[in-house]
Amino acid sequence: MSLLEVNNVNRVLTDNNGAQVNVLQNINFDVQQSEFVSLIGPSGCGKTTLLRLISGLDRPEGGTVKVKDELVTKPDASRGYVFQHGSLFPWETIRDNIAAGLRVTQGRHFDKQLVDRYIALMGLQGFESAFPHQVSGGMAQRAALARSIIMHPELLLLDEPMGALDAFTRADIQNVIYRVWQQTKTTMILVTHDIDEAVYLSQRIIVMTPRPGQIKQIVTNPLPYPRQRTSDDFLKFRQTIQDLLDFGSHDQLVTDSKEKAK
Amino acid sequence: MQASGKQERKLLQQHERERKYWKKWSVGWNVFSVVTLVVAYLENALLATRETVDNTYYHWFLIAYIAYLVIVYVVGQVTHGGVRSYSGHFAQLNSSIGILLIVQDLITEKFAIMELPFFVSFAQILQQIHEDAKLLWESTLSSLGLWAISFVVGTLIGVVLGLLMGRYRQFNYWAFPYLKVIGIIPAAAWMPLTMVIFPTSYLAEIFLIAFSVWFPVAFMTIGGVQGISKDYFESAKTLGFSEAQIVRKIVIPGALPSIFIGIFTAMGLSFTMLVISEMIGAKVGLGWYINWAKGVGNYTQVYAAIVIMALLFSIIFAIFSKVQARLLRWRENGN
Ligand SMILES: Nc1ncnc2c1ncn2[C@@H]1O[C@H](COP(=O)(O)OP(=O)(O)O)[C@@H](O)[C@H]1O
Ligand SMILES: [Mg+2]
Repeated sequence: MSLLEVNNVNRVLTDNNGAQVNVLQNINFDVQQSEFVSLIGPSGCGKTTLLRLISGLDRPEGGTVKVKDELVTKPDASRGYVFQHGSLFPWETIRDNIAAGLRVTQGRHFDKQLVDRYIALMGLQGFESAFPHQVSGGMAQRAALARSIIMHPELLLLDEPMGALDAFTRADIQNVIYRVWQQTKTTMILVTHDIDEAVYLSQRIIVMTPRPGQIKQIVTNPLPYPRQRTSDDFLKFRQTIQDLLDFGSHDQLVTDSKEKAK
Repeated sequence: MQASGKQERKLLQQHERERKYWKKWSVGWNVFSVVTLVVAYLENALLATRETVDNTYYHWFLIAYIAYLVIVYVVGQVTHGGVRSYSGHFAQLNSSIGILLIVQDLITEKFAIMELPFFVSFAQILQQIHEDAKLLWESTLSSLGLWAISFVVGTLIGVVLGLLMGRYRQFNYWAFPYLKVIGIIPAAAWMPLTMVIFPTSYLAEIFLIAFSVWFPVAFMTIGGVQGISKDYFESAKTLGFSEAQIVRKIVIPGALPSIFIGIFTAMGLSFTMLVISEMIGAKVGLGWYINWAKGVGNYTQVYAAIVIMALLFSIIFAIFSKVQARLLRWRENGN
């Protein structure tokens, strides 16, 4: 049995003009226990929409999302979700943010040593009592990761957690995610529009096409871990994904830059 | 890394202080502020007064003020911490206070350009405060007690209603239109009714003051709750928060900046209502004292009560500002 089964999922939304838009159409895929899967596609192809359906934040208009054979109907702590902009609670310190989920599920006597361990694992020592606005974007994103991972979710959903970061910080967070995955074997689904990132981290890559959002192909990544970003095999596999995404490459560039301009 | 985090915050603190107390340290202004007050003292002590007054208390007041200025000046001169920024920033203001004290003293008791009974010197007010110390102290405590009870009741009602209306659509649908119409009524309009409806005038006063408070607080709370980014609610749900935990950990802290705006708006209204309701119904309190003094034609007593109110309300305001700064220290630009 797969950990996650997405069956014939459709998502229909109403746009600003009142028209019905098929944002997702006939989405089918499975994710195995401890697997690392990336969802890649141009901006606006429905990646976030799909991830929200898996988390239970939204319900699909058609089809089913099942985790361990149980229908997902609402969000809960067993499915962690890291948002694009972290969304740490600004009124809590870094430490309290990381402990937020533990505190509400375990009560006042939550495992404080576990919090210390994750602060160390994420390299956040010295910033425990800082508030989110006082730390860098990279640190805030590491804290947001810690806040979800500390809950030991059976599935961790990552929505472009590096999207808003500069290249150095981005590589740093990628390595943090890789390390955590190696150590905890948490099943992860990473949404990205960065091919390098997807190839560097994932065992399988789900390539999506826009309007309506559909799965174009699911590609298994043959590269062994740990991966070298500059190896020939890496670059060759990277090209495979690039070619898959190059349907109407012009369109994609336009939407991408529009998205960034926002 | 450990050190850099702490160091950074210390630097931030200093930066914050420099922004708040932006006037530069200046020996000239600090000395001048002391000089103005020394002149105020000498002028009052040496010139003959035309009105009856015991200037002792005014002299003690000036001596204490001068001592304070000398101390902050010396400390500011030898250290480089908060005192230096603070005394440097306020040296000019202190000088202006010294000059105003000289001017008011000259035009009232010294030359009687503005005369008793409607205009009095600060020395006469201080003398009056001393003479009426016991009565004024009791009045102040009584006013403070009445205000505190009413303000807490009004704020609690406002916050609870605001949270319910901000968070729950059904509650908002049924309650908001009614509460909006009721809340817009000036509390003072209820006065004749409260006098007959409530069994004691004290309860009537509590009602009037609390009534002036709850609406601005509720109104700002609603806006505060509705302005919270939905990301925080969704993060909370994926971390396993229950509805009660969402209210405690997201809704309340997220709305707190707005709640404080409501509280500060309500504070001014509540002081007004406090004085008005004491003037009408009460047998104690600063409002009653003013009304009584007016009745016997002693305007110096009116001034005395006004000075005490200015002091009391400023202290309350300062305490709330401190609490606000503490509770909202997570925000990017302090207050
Ligand atoms: N709440 C919504 N109402 C209407 N349209 C939406 C809504 N959310 C997203 N969309 C549309 O659905 C499409 C997919 O959005 P999204 O899942 O955010 O894309 P991605 O995450 O791949 O960039 C976009 O065209 C977007 O405009
Ligand atoms: Mg997205």
